[in-house]
Amino acid sequence: MVVDVKVPQDLWQDDGMEAVITNWLASDGASVRTGALIAEIMVEKSQFEVTAPADGILTIAKQIDDIVRKGDVIGQIT
Amino acid sequence: MLDQPTNERRLTIARAMAEAMQQEMQRDPTVFVMGEDIAGFGGIFGNTRGLFEEFGKERVRDTPISETGFISAAVGAAMDGMRPVVELMFVDFFGVCFDAIYNQMAKNTYFSGGNASVPMVLMTSTGGGYSDAGQHSQCLYGTFAHLPGMKVVSPSNAYDAKGLMTAAIRDDNPVVYMFHKQLQGMGWLGTEAGATVNTPEEDYTVEIGKAKVVRAGTDVTLVGLAMGVHNALKAADKLAEDGVSAEVVDLVSLVPLDRETVINSVAKTGRLIVVDEDYHSFGVSGEIIASVTEHDISKLKASPARVTFPDVPIPYARHMEQFCLPNPDKIVDAYRKM
Repeated sequence: MVVDVKVPQDLWQDDGMEAVITNWLASDGASVRTGALIAEIMVEKSQFEVTAPADGILTIAKQIDDIVRKGDVIGQIT
Repeated sequence: MLDQPTNERRLTIARAMAEAMQQEMQRDPTVFVMGEDIAGFGGIFGNTRGLFEEFGKERVRDTPISETGFISAAVGAAMDGMRPVVELMFVDFFGVCFDAIYNQMAKNTYFSGGNASVPMVLMTSTGGGYSDAGQHSQCLYGTFAHLPGMKVVSPSNAYDAKGLMTAAIRDDNPVVYMFHKQLQGMGWLGTEAGATVNTPEEDYTVEIGKAKVVRAGTDVTLVGLAMGVHNALKAADKLAEDGVSAEVVDLVSLVPLDRETVINSVAKTGRLIVVDEDYHSFGVSGEIIASVTEHDISKLKASPARVTFPDVPIPYARHMEQFCLPNPDKIVDAYRKM
């Protein structure tokens, strides 16, 4: 099963706001567990956490400094 | 496989610092944290995130913008049995509170004939590169390391950041803990990905006063600390493309200074370049070079070189600041001119 890692809808209010990936705290190809902190994204100097939505192997799709918006797929877990 | 916990645990320096403080506060009720915006806000560099929620306002204390007051208060608390960790938000602000730092914090052990110790940590942000101008971008490593009575450390990665903070809190001497903003993993300060590394969850210490050879080489020794280590490692990659083998030494601590590791490295390579984002003159770079040359100048195959910030106030304009900052290309150029 493949589960997308998405930018959550509920971290900040403005739907159109651009965010930037500031850190991946898990590596491409690493084994991760549900709920583990795997990335940080920033909106206007505020940092938000992205956690793993499933157990499995992480594949990173968006890199540090890439611009993302709510709902964007930034990685996958298989 | 999924039944096994992942052994990867990458942290930013910001998270590593917060985790060290959290664990020491759990272990030792005398540890508390004070500073501007360090409580509910979690520190503007993210290094106290989560502490206020866990330990509350008595042990995680927001202060007014009155560095002289709260750093002096920390000195008194430390002499009275507490272990304060106090934040000077930007090292550039030292001007208003330096009496508390170098006449009280650094000297009270000596002045009391050893009857009182001052077991406190002064953590402070250093470095530029993100256009924050001349009052928010300095390193001032040499300014602090010059004055006797306080240890001075500056980590280049999250593993060292956590271990140094734990060691600093447990140390019975005052420790100045200088963290470079571009290594914090905060995004808006610019992010050096190499600073985010695997970091154990359990508590541990990194020895204060011990440098690390972070890349082995035979042709030239590149010495740096904090951001300088990352510039040196990138320069080493570039030099390797031309068949030059560079050794990189991370000083980790300035006081005490591990001269032996630098001297041993230069004895092997015969060439020395010091990378320092602090000002060129009267600083860390000169001290490192003097330490090597006064020990045994015959080991050197070429005059030492330094890649530093020129002796000018740090410019706000991005292209002017970037022109002044050390970078990997400048280090490669310094090697070529040897």
